[in-house]
Order: sequence, then C-alpha cells, then structure tokens
Amino acid sequence: MSDSHDSPTIPDLIKKFHFVGGVLVFGTIITFVIDLMFALPLALSAVIGLLIALVKASFVVAVFMHYKWDKKLIWITWTMVLTFFFFAGMMGLIIWADGDAPNLARNEMSAIWVLLASLLGVVLPASFTVFTVKMLSQPAPVEAAAPKARRTAKKKS
Amino acid sequence: MEIPYTVKPRPDTGLYNAKLGIWLFLASEVMLFGALFSSYVLLRVGAEPGTWSMGLMDLFVGAGNTMVLIASSMFVVLAWAELKQGNLAGYKKWKWATIACAVLFLCVKWGYEWPSKFKHYDVWLNNATVLHEKFDEGYHEVASHGEHADDEHEHGDAAHGGDVEKHVEKIYTTRFFKERSEPSHAAFDDAWRNGTLALSGHINAYEEAQIDVRITDWKADAGVSEADAEKALAKQGAEDAAGLRLNGGLLLSKTGYDIAKRAEYALGQAGFTVALSVAGYERVEAHPWMWRTKRVNEDIGGKPRVSSIVFGLDHSHHQEITLDVGDIKRLSAYEPKHSTFFGIYYTITGLHAAHVFGGILIMLYNMLPIGLGLWHRDREQFTNRIETFGLFWHFVDLVWIFLFPILYIL
Repeated sequence: MSDSHDSPTIPDLIKKFHFVGGVLVFGTIITFVIDLMFALPLALSAVIGLLIALVKASFVVAVFMHYKWDKKLIWITWTMVLTFFFFAGMMGLIIWADGDAPNLARNEMSAIWVLLASLLGVVLPASFTVFTVKMLSQPAPVEAAAPKARRTAKKKS
Repeated sequence: MEIPYTVKPRPDTGLYNAKLGIWLFLASEVMLFGALFSSYVLLRVGAEPGTWSMGLMDLFVGAGNTMVLIASSMFVVLAWAELKQGNLAGYKKWKWATIACAVLFLCVKWGYEWPSKFKHYDVWLNNATVLHEKFDEGYHEVASHGEHADDEHEHGDAAHGGDVEKHVEKIYTTRFFKERSEPSHAAFDDAWRNGTLALSGHINAYEEAQIDVRITDWKADAGVSEADAEKALAKQGAEDAAGLRLNGGLLLSKTGYDIAKRAEYALGQAGFTVALSVAGYERVEAHPWMWRTKRVNEDIGGKPRVSSIVFGLDHSHHQEITLDVGDIKRLSAYEPKHSTFFGIYYTITGLHAAHVFGGILIMLYNMLPIGLGLWHRDREQFTNRIETFGLFWHFVDLVWIFLFPILYIL
C-alpha cells in the first residue's frame, strides 16, 4: 500500500479486517435464517438474497481488497461496473427477442424494461470506449505526475 | 529480464505493475463469470414452472462452505498484514490456515456435494398411475417402521388409493417448488395425469440379466476344431468348458452382460458362431454411481438387460418401490446432462472450484523454499506478490458470495 496516501496503519487495518469478517459471517447467517424461517416468493427472496450478497461483496472489495485506499484503480472500476450493466443490457436484448424477431408486444414483459435494458447494452459499452480513448489520450494524472517530477529532480541533483 | 515497478508505483498509473495487472485480470474474470451468471439468470427465469430443481441443495452444507471461504479470505489478508510488519512466521501461520480452508472447501464440494448428486436419480414414468399398485405392494410397510414413524405418519398411512398421490405430490413439490402452492398443485396434477412426473430417489438394487453365451458352430474347414472352441470359451471365463457341453453346443452360462458382450465379440473374431440368450435375472444390491441411463435400454435378443429397479424414494428411507423397466420413460442421475439446472450448476461451481484449486497451488508455491526465496531477496516485492494473490483470492470468495444465494436459495 505504499501507493496509497491515506491508508491506515497495519494494526488499524487488522481491526478493520476482523470487523469485515464479522460482517460476512453475520450476512451469511441472516441469509440462512431468512431462508429457513420465511417462505418468501421467488422475486422477494432473490432481491433479499442478492442485496445481502452485494453488501458482503462491497465490504470484501472495499476493505479486504484495499479498494477503499486504492482510488487510482478508478479506470478499472469503470470496466467492471460497465461490464455489469452490459450484461444487464444483453439480457434485456435476449429477453426482448421472441424467437427470431424482436417483439415489443409481449404480454409478460413491459416494453419499457426491454427498451431501457437495450439502451444500457448499447450506451454503456459505447461510453466505456469513449472513456478509454479519453484516458489514453490524456497525460498522466496530476496526482501521479508529482512523484515523477520529484524523482527526475533528484536524479539531476 | 528485470520487470520494472514491482515495488514502486509506476508514475502514470499510480500503482505497482503487478497490482494493475491483477486488477485487469480480475476485470476479465468478472466478464467470464458475468457471462455465466447472466446465463444462469436467463435459464432460471425462462424455466417452465416445475422444471427447475429446487430444494435439492443442502443449505447447511452451502452455508458451511461459505463460512469456510470467508474465513480463508480473512486469513489470507491477515497473512499479508503479517508480512507488512516483517513477520514471516505469522505469515506462514495464516497462510497454512488459508490452505487448510481451501482444501476443506474442495473436499466438501468434490468429495461430498458432487458425488451425492451423482448417486441421486430422477425417474420419469410412462404412466404414473402404475404407482398406485406399486405403492400398494411395498410402500405401506413403512407406517409401522421405527425411527421415522412419527414424522412420516401423515403419509405413512397413505399407501392406499388416492393418498399415494398426496405423498408423491409432497416429494414432487419439495423437489421442484420447495413450498406447496396453487401453481405447484396444478403442475403436479398435470404431470401425474400425463405421465411426465419425475420421482426422485436412490437406486437401492436392480435385477440384471444373467446371460448364456453359446457356441453353436465353428468353421471346421478353416481348421478350427471343437477343442479350439473349448479353449476359446475357457479363455472367456468358463472354468470347465467341456463340462458345459450340451445339445451339440458349448456354453458359458449365466454370465454378466459385459462379459457376454466381450465374449461374443472375441469368439466371433476367432471364427465361432455365437448366440447370446437371457437365462434369468439376478437381483444386485447397489448404490450405483452415475448409473448410466443407457444400461436400462440395452437388451439381449429383445429381453432387457435390466428388468426392474428398486427405487428408494426421497424423504422416505425405508420405502422402496420396484419399477419395471418397461414403465420407465427416462432414468437419469443428477449429472450434467440430467437437466438445464445441473448443466449450469456443474459449470459454474466447477469453474469456481478450479479457481480454488489453482489458488491452492499458488499458495503452496509461496510457502515452499522456491517461492520464499523472494522474501529473502526482496521483502517488499514478496509482500506485494502476496497482496496480489490476496486480491485474486478475495475475488474467488466474491464469486462464492453471489453463488451461495443463487444456487442454494433461489
């Protein structure tokens, strides 16, 4: 973590690790108990189960993977977030397709959802491309440029 | 070749190279698993009611394995923290704990969960009403049987007439719907009447054909004699071929299907005329592992290789019914080809388990002298290496965090 500016000290981190471990165990137990105690409809149990999983996952990414202190990973994060929405969009397109032809008039699916999903599937990869091109064409971020400048200065002296 | 920026962050990315590399790798992994997760969701949502396997996964085992992976994720990050503080002994302690967790996870997955699925069967009958008589034959015994008598009571008495239907519905509902509801009842009714019903359970025994292999003729003009035939037959497993001589032929009697088929081929090649016939059936006690469906379809001269199977129904350990092969439309273990659910289940959990396995190999490398050498050469680089492995390991944990609710609860 030499590359992070505001990361806590190791003993502090270890405390955080224990806390996150507790959160994960707790989340698993809750999922388990809810499933055993309540007979929920599929949609509701899907939402609850996946929300708990999402909270657990966020803690793992933020603390175990030090993401919280590695802000410079922001571009890669874009890749991942866009991937997620891209798949959502792809699913929209597939659900939209009825047999071989797109069919907006299906009873079981409101057209607006398919449209939104398809839009995501098109817009997000496009925006990702734009971001990538933009990132590649700009000079190094200011934050990172500073140590570089210092180092060259040292070499010269 | 010296790889640059293994310790110091690269100025333009602000990260040391390995960390950027592993995050890019993880980004590609997100796409890989994302595709599989999307496939799962699409298949799940698109499945007709009553065709998706539910209530099959053992929630306790799944939650237990989740805990094991959480613990390993915790240990791997603590190992890194120890290295950060320059404590190699502490690193080794936590790393061994991580490896132990990973091995435990795989043992549960590959040693218990998968095999117990491979030994579990669904059977589809041509005509479900045959169950009425089947249940009358043997099933009602159970009501007076020991340990499960109490909780089985409601369907223990239920062996006769229409009540059989109730019990089968209960099994069917747990299997495909978890809870009883209007749609589940309608689906069961439909399946019961048109014969698409699937019963789940274990094969406890089966009746397999005993086959006579008979040599009826040999090519004397090609120099093959009766003595040769006796020898050839003895070679195929007849202890005393001469003693088995009867009606102008030589006989290898009551042998198993595979031996008979092999003998038929080998003897045919050697110039003998061979006839196979079913001598009778023998009950084989068995809990077969992936007993292939084709075995019930094989036959010898029109007689089935297997005449019937003894099927122990789910949730009723003392209850068996004997099903004639002629009544069976399809019999399938919970192997990948069984159903869409198992196809995607083995694909996703298999890919995840492969990641766990790969992780174990890398962890072992980093524990052996060959891997630890780096610690003595460059402590910071080794610490960074362990950090990047940790990132991979957390990702594997992340995948499981999502797999657990999807596979075990939904």
